[in-house]
Amino acid sequence: MPTVKITIDGTQIEADNKRTIIEVAREHGIKIPHFCWHPKLSVSGNCRMCLVEIEKMPKLAIACSTQVADGMVVHTKNERVVHARNAVMEFLLINHPLDCPICDEAGECKLQDYTYKYSTGYSRFDEDKVHKPKRIQLGPHVMFDAERCILCSRCVRFCDEIAGVHQLQFIQRGDHTELTTFPGEKLDNPYSMNVVDICPVGALTNADFRFKARVWEMSFTDTICQGCARGCNIEVGVRNNETLRLTPRRNDDVNGYWMCDHGRLDTFKFVNAENRIKAPMIRKDGVLVEVGWDEAIARVASELKSFKKSEVAALGSPFATNEDNHIFQRFVKEVLGTKNVDFVRHIVEGDEDNILLRSDKTPNSIGAAEVGVAPVEGGMSFDAIIEGIHEGKIKALYALEDDVAAVPGVAEVLPKLEFFAVHAANENSTTRYADVVLAAATFAEKNGTMVNFQRRVQRLRPAVTTLELDRAMDGFEMSRWDKFAAHNDKWGKGPRRDARASWKIVASIAAAMGTKFKYNSADEVFNEIAQRVESFKGLSYLKVGKKGAPLKAKAMAPVHA
Amino acid sequence: MERYILPDIPNFHEIDVYEQHGGYSALKKALGMNPAEVTDEVKKSNLRGRGGACFPTGLKWTFMPKDNAKPKYLCVNGDESEPGTFKDRQIFEFNPHQLIEGTLIGCYAMGITTAYIYIRGEYGKWIKMLQKAIDDAYAKGYIGQNILGSNFSTNIYLHKGAGAYICGEESSLMESLEGNRGYPRVKPPFPAQRGVWNCPTTINNVETMTNVPLIINKGWEWYSKIGAPKHPGPILVGISGHVNKPGVYEVATGELLTDLIYNYAGGVPGNKKIKAIIPGGSSTMILRGDQIEGVRMDADSLKAAGSSVGTAGMIVMDEETDLIRVISRISKFYYHESCGQCTPCREGTGWLWKILKRFETGEGRMQDIDLLVDIANNIEGNTICALGDAAAWPVQSMVRRFRDEFEKRAKRSEAAAA
Repeated sequence: MPTVKITIDGTQIEADNKRTIIEVAREHGIKIPHFCWHPKLSVSGNCRMCLVEIEKMPKLAIACSTQVADGMVVHTKNERVVHARNAVMEFLLINHPLDCPICDEAGECKLQDYTYKYSTGYSRFDEDKVHKPKRIQLGPHVMFDAERCILCSRCVRFCDEIAGVHQLQFIQRGDHTELTTFPGEKLDNPYSMNVVDICPVGALTNADFRFKARVWEMSFTDTICQGCARGCNIEVGVRNNETLRLTPRRNDDVNGYWMCDHGRLDTFKFVNAENRIKAPMIRKDGVLVEVGWDEAIARVASELKSFKKSEVAALGSPFATNEDNHIFQRFVKEVLGTKNVDFVRHIVEGDEDNILLRSDKTPNSIGAAEVGVAPVEGGMSFDAIIEGIHEGKIKALYALEDDVAAVPGVAEVLPKLEFFAVHAANENSTTRYADVVLAAATFAEKNGTMVNFQRRVQRLRPAVTTLELDRAMDGFEMSRWDKFAAHNDKWGKGPRRDARASWKIVASIAAAMGTKFKYNSADEVFNEIAQRVESFKGLSYLKVGKKGAPLKAKAMAPVHA
Repeated sequence: MERYILPDIPNFHEIDVYEQHGGYSALKKALGMNPAEVTDEVKKSNLRGRGGACFPTGLKWTFMPKDNAKPKYLCVNGDESEPGTFKDRQIFEFNPHQLIEGTLIGCYAMGITTAYIYIRGEYGKWIKMLQKAIDDAYAKGYIGQNILGSNFSTNIYLHKGAGAYICGEESSLMESLEGNRGYPRVKPPFPAQRGVWNCPTTINNVETMTNVPLIINKGWEWYSKIGAPKHPGPILVGISGHVNKPGVYEVATGELLTDLIYNYAGGVPGNKKIKAIIPGGSSTMILRGDQIEGVRMDADSLKAAGSSVGTAGMIVMDEETDLIRVISRISKFYYHESCGQCTPCREGTGWLWKILKRFETGEGRMQDIDLLVDIANNIEGNTICALGDAAAWPVQSMVRRFRDEFEKRAKRSEAAAA
């Protein structure tokens, strides 16, 4: 890599000569303001916000498209540059509506932030503003306000270059230029909502989230999307203990800056949903009724004890964490002593792309298998378990969080069971057949880890509080609202469910059956996994961190087996 | 002087007549030379581009990479849309074959096998005439495969614009040619590095290419002695506005502006005084009538006078001209034609026009005068292409040289308001 020596604001930097000033500056902590430049998109150079002075060049140059060269001396903060930035800000604002108080972007708006940071705070513009269409539904999930648009073209480039579909383009000229979709087209692709994230203003808004909350009222917790085996890194936006929004979180090894619309829209609403299991339930006279945890646990323990080991089967879950699955398989093998344990794969062949989407629609199938959710030698696999229920060989089933009854052929056999206990967060086709439903905390309510298709371990963190977590504020992010709002506005006022992490529920059942699993927290469970499972050796929550860590590679099978 | 670009020969646009007067002999001569020698000849002639920037043509040709496996392209810019400029269409009408011959010589010099002539879409009649000339040249074997029996082959395509001024800017011209929205490209990379279809490209003006056969035929020494030594050759000057005989005049560079106005264009109607002139198309800086004495139509002289040659489209304004209306109209043009890609030009051109419109309708204010200059200064040099500069210069120069007109207007409106 040929390197060059350059100076930025007096700091000497060695850099790859193929890189641009803005990239090199960024890597060295020098922030050059910009609207149109994005690290994962082609350079457009239209906003002119990143103008910098380069000694010996007559004009200011844009840092986003200017490659570094040996001996280059760059100034990003001198009077001339500051003047040019003020001018660009003034230009951008002359036709921009002053509607921040009703704009969804306010609080996370680049234009608003830069106005405070890089503008004079005063406009000399005394003319009529240009008016353009508002409230345009560009596609199923994205709303557009043409007056707020600063025409940076990030969304156009995103569609062309990342989503690979040509749906957006500008029409008209000058200050009448307007973003629109091509005739007969909509902004409709599996990744369409990323344009909302990269829009530096409130022009493109999330049709699902808009007007639900001011962003400064929300807390944002780093976690992992549950939509498929990619495990996109995300932030969960929460207000008043309700999940309102998912947004992608940068991780260049997994999802870059992006996530798909399915993950963004379809993988969090069950947390707040009406059909949430709010407390453990036992079927009495054919109807599930809420009971206390002690009663539910005692019931499961006594029922499971009453069957022969070979009559019991257990299903772990690719939707549950490694911690949940680990304790579950220990319980099944060590306490129940059954060999019949497996989990259901949810693969939709062909439903994947080379962007993010994976055909494995579960977030943790590798993790579940890796920690040992698999039939013990001589035990039954999932298909055999279903067949066993049908034949009456399996009489009791204990299942983690998964709507197994939705798998073809399963619902028909479930009524044959003498006892069926399931962990569930929401009412679903499976809970209809259950004798005991154990109220499971969702991904948004617990600590834990999952392993994505790249065999990368990633952390879940609680973003929403349950009754139990209220007492242990483990890893919670808090919003300004949480910290400073009046008492009656705090997140604790929102709905709180009496749900628990599955591993805790399993440990309680084990205890009721006479075996004590002593863990105080999810990271203690993880430490045990790291000791016992070869591929997790050496890992800890600290090492997994915010961006995850790869599992150890599997030992390669010998070539001549 | 003798005319070389628009010679006084009847039916010179017809290929037979062109051939009878030595047409295509320069191409024959060039094909007998080494391509590098051809470029060198043009370089030594000191021919400078007639499209507005006066860039040395031969030097531009040398920017084309020699050891690049990609195809190379020549674009001949005939988009001619600058207000006050109407010279290239004379070439399309009266001397299309010399343009074609020059284009072919340029292709040979740079090893180019495809040339595009990008012509202004509104030039309906001239599009037909140029296409006929191209067809005739194909029929006679001057364009196409193995030109005049040599190993050199090239094609020339005529491409019509769709009515945007910005597409006369060389990088938007290439975007437009590729079928894209007319947005200028960020430079670098320059066209010679990455131009049309991402391949090395040279873009030259129509009049520039029409000069090339002269240089090859008569030699660089002959050519470089015509007119101003640092900016030599014949030049087409379009004169419009308050003159008795508006039109396009072929002169040698370095002609006195006063000669052009009073001798060639027949002076000002009613013998009125000249209040102002715009020497080279609407984007060049306006000069006061009392500034033009001794100023000549060449790059150095006009630069010294505080303006530029541009496209040599001179607009003459007599003493009764309302310059506020003039600048308001010019600003409206650049506002209308700003492509909208980059911030300062997109937002600034509209702002300038809105203020100037107020001056025109009697609502100008004293503080607006400095604001106009400040807005123009904030556009100038900070945009992707030169349209921003083209919008800024007329405003800057108008305020600088006719501040009194603005002040008078502002005082009048303020008095009316009071």
